[in-house]
Amino acid sequence: MTHAEAKTQEPSAAFEPRLVAFVCNWCTYAGADLAGTSRLPYAPNVRIIKFPCTGRIDPLLVLKAFEGGADGVLVSGCHPGDCHYTSGNYHARRRWAIVRRLLEFTGIDSRRLYFSWVSAAEGRKFADLINEITEKVRAAGPFEPANPARRRPWT
Amino acid sequence: MDLIAGLRTDAAALLSDGRAKLVIGYRAVPGQGGKERAPVFVTDPARVDVLVYDASCRQNLAAYLKKPEVRARSPVAVVAPPPVMRSIVLLAAESQITDATVVVLGVGEGVYHGVLDIAQTAALLRGKYADLAPPATLVREIERIAAMTAEERAAFWTARFARCIRCYACRAACPLCYCTRCIVEKNVPQWISSAAAGHGNYAWNIIRAFHLAGRCTLCGACEAACPQGIPIMLLNVLAAEEATRDFDARPGYDPAEKPVIGSWNPDDKADFIK
Repeated sequence: MTHAEAKTQEPSAAFEPRLVAFVCNWCTYAGADLAGTSRLPYAPNVRIIKFPCTGRIDPLLVLKAFEGGADGVLVSGCHPGDCHYTSGNYHARRRWAIVRRLLEFTGIDSRRLYFSWVSAAEGRKFADLINEITEKVRAAGPFEPANPARRRPWT
Repeated sequence: MDLIAGLRTDAAALLSDGRAKLVIGYRAVPGQGGKERAPVFVTDPARVDVLVYDASCRQNLAAYLKKPEVRARSPVAVVAPPPVMRSIVLLAAESQITDATVVVLGVGEGVYHGVLDIAQTAALLRGKYADLAPPATLVREIERIAAMTAEERAAFWTARFARCIRCYACRAACPLCYCTRCIVEKNVPQWISSAAAGHGNYAWNIIRAFHLAGRCTLCGACEAACPQGIPIMLLNVLAAEEATRDFDARPGYDPAEKPVIGSWNPDDKADFIK
């Protein structure tokens, strides 16, 4: 989220969760594209960031998203066996199992952390997934001021 | 053989016949109530009498193996209690050291295991120290924190990480933090803020723990080195438990083992995937 966008957000407005979705180029991004070309409506709360592969998704990216004020993060890639690079999604799954545990333990709870497989054919699944996650994060409420990873000015 | 006598005899023999150019061990610090131990670097077989070992020796001496000035004196002999032996076996598994560069002087509580190569060290660990568990107090503390609400956990850790002065003593004390250029020092782009405040402290401590997941041998040297008393072993034990439970991680028991992060299994845990 840019500084300009942050400024236009009314603090008094009803809470709209900000989700960051890190998706792979070959499956989930194509699935999101299919949702769009199929004219499937889904929650506009998600900001999609495309990567070559979920194998590229470092925990640092997840931390950056929370640092910048995300209320929830989704990582999504190809189903097992479908990875364009053979095994990137398997690497991502292992990494996520541990990152998720560390983040949960330090105060970023599981209602804000999501991982999924969405194929290029699953436009409907993508739309449903985003709607579901948006509602869950909405129920969890604004992450501020509890967000332990949030960027704050020096005090 | 008596622990201290055996240790000194073998250290002298290694230095005399050139099997080691340097012995890294512990010495007693004069004064300090006689309890303080410090690392000592012995190159002269006539000076091995400074070497001691007892339960007060907390520092993980394998951390020196990453230093270029120590590597230049290979082969190096290291006085190693079980967690340090595990660090050494793991460093071998990660292709950082070989039998040509490191000799192990195995020590335990009141026992001396003699001069060991890496394969013998691994065999000894599997035989005698196969069930090294994290301290029960740490495990109970993890359970206590895990039972809190997310807000309470965030508050707990924010208060602890706020003490961090980013001295990186935890990194320096750890034999497994051997990258010549750490992610925290990369600034184009800057992934982790280097200011000793909120988000940078959070990111640093999480990423440090993550990079040790499935590798940490639970020696406790990082927490002992922390001047600010941050309970970082809680994070290490948490990640280690996860890696062991889900991915059968047994770091430091087999010099041929594959890294936990960086390998995969098609049947890995998938219960969190939507």
